[in-house]
Amino acid sequence: MSNLKWLKVLILFVLTYALQVSVAEWLKIFGVGPDFVVIFVVAVAIKRGPAAGCFWGFLAGFAQDVYAPVEWLGASSISMTVLGFVVGQLEERFLTLNLPAKIGVLGFGFFVCDMIYFGITGLSKEIITNLFLTQTLPECAYTMFVGGIAFYLDFGKKKKHA
Amino acid sequence: MFRAFRFIIDLFTQRHGIVAFVFFLLLGLLMRQAPTTVRQGVVATALGTVFYPAQLVAASLTSFRAVADENEQLKEENARLRQETYHAREGLQELARLHTLVRFDDKWDFPIVTSRVVGHNPGRFLTTLVINRGTYHGVKEDMPVFSMNGLVGKITKAAMTHSRVQLLVDPNLKLSVMERRTRVVGFLESKDGHMLTAMVPTHAGIQVGDTLVTSGLGGIFPKGIPVGTVQNVRKADLDVMRLMDVAPFQEFSILEEVFVMEKEPDWVIRELLDE
Repeated sequence: MSNLKWLKVLILFVLTYALQVSVAEWLKIFGVGPDFVVIFVVAVAIKRGPAAGCFWGFLAGFAQDVYAPVEWLGASSISMTVLGFVVGQLEERFLTLNLPAKIGVLGFGFFVCDMIYFGITGLSKEIITNLFLTQTLPECAYTMFVGGIAFYLDFGKKKKHA
Repeated sequence: MFRAFRFIIDLFTQRHGIVAFVFFLLLGLLMRQAPTTVRQGVVATALGTVFYPAQLVAASLTSFRAVADENEQLKEENARLRQETYHAREGLQELARLHTLVRFDDKWDFPIVTSRVVGHNPGRFLTTLVINRGTYHGVKEDMPVFSMNGLVGKITKAAMTHSRVQLLVDPNLKLSVMERRTRVVGFLESKDGHMLTAMVPTHAGIQVGDTLVTSGLGGIFPKGIPVGTVQNVRKADLDVMRLMDVAPFQEFSILEEVFVMEKEPDWVIRELLDE
């Protein structure tokens, strides 16, 4: 990536966190809101490849870890790193993803990320099951919806340029 | 420096990013396995060097917005308070008027009908008023009429929705008055429809400036309603009496609202009136 591209992603990273701490709160419905950080990591991994996905995934995860209980330090970093790498590999090795595929990858990534996080933190099965049903599934759907809009806007922009 | 950075980037992007993935994964695992004190140090360092300054900037921006919002809020509150102050002033003025009214009411313990002056007689002298309250509102003939300043007159004709008030300056109205300081009783009338004249015994020693109030002896007006002040004292046809010019407390030409006291004449007076 050129320096300018790094800068653009950095600005996008900061904006994502700003959105996550402000807009995501306002968009919450019955306590369920979209995860802009996951959308950011998936988008960067799709656009910039697995190495950038790993890097930005780790940074994004670490930023979440800092505000999480200190016993869980590293859980988000690992799960987001995996997310960035896996999505980047999908994009690079298999195909140029279209919009529905991107949304599908986002949902899959969200699901994988949460499962890794739950696994690392060592929560009990009952709690994980409860969190999966009450948080992961609805938030995954919400994030796919919001991410779909973001990808659509980005996809449309590319089309115009073409 | 730039070459070193480029070397690291190239290293991490080799083999489809597997090197980067392994590196960051190991970093994450190290954090997971580190002792609690190390974790706390990592978190504290990260917060102190990156996240807190970033949050400080964000909070400053947020507080700037909050100040702007607060400014708007204060403007609205200022406008609302101005309105409330205006209404409060109006309320205080009304309260002062009502206090005066309540004092009257308490003193004489009769219900009060507030009315507006809607007309007066077209003659040269002002001797009659028309008010917008009648029998429908409880007003009856011979009820006293007063203002905040003092006695005005009495009701001479009560219709359903309006009534006619006979003013003190009407030559046909005569009432018993009492000087407040000496408690001497006399009577008041207007001979010319313009000036009020009172007649009291000479021995009373009435002086200019003394105050006359209703005596309550006539049976129509209750005792103690202010009537006016003595302007001059002169001899009457009889040596035992003194004549006085009286300036009423209430200027009748500027009356806008009056109060009718729902007091009917005493039973003795009613019998006399009936006869």
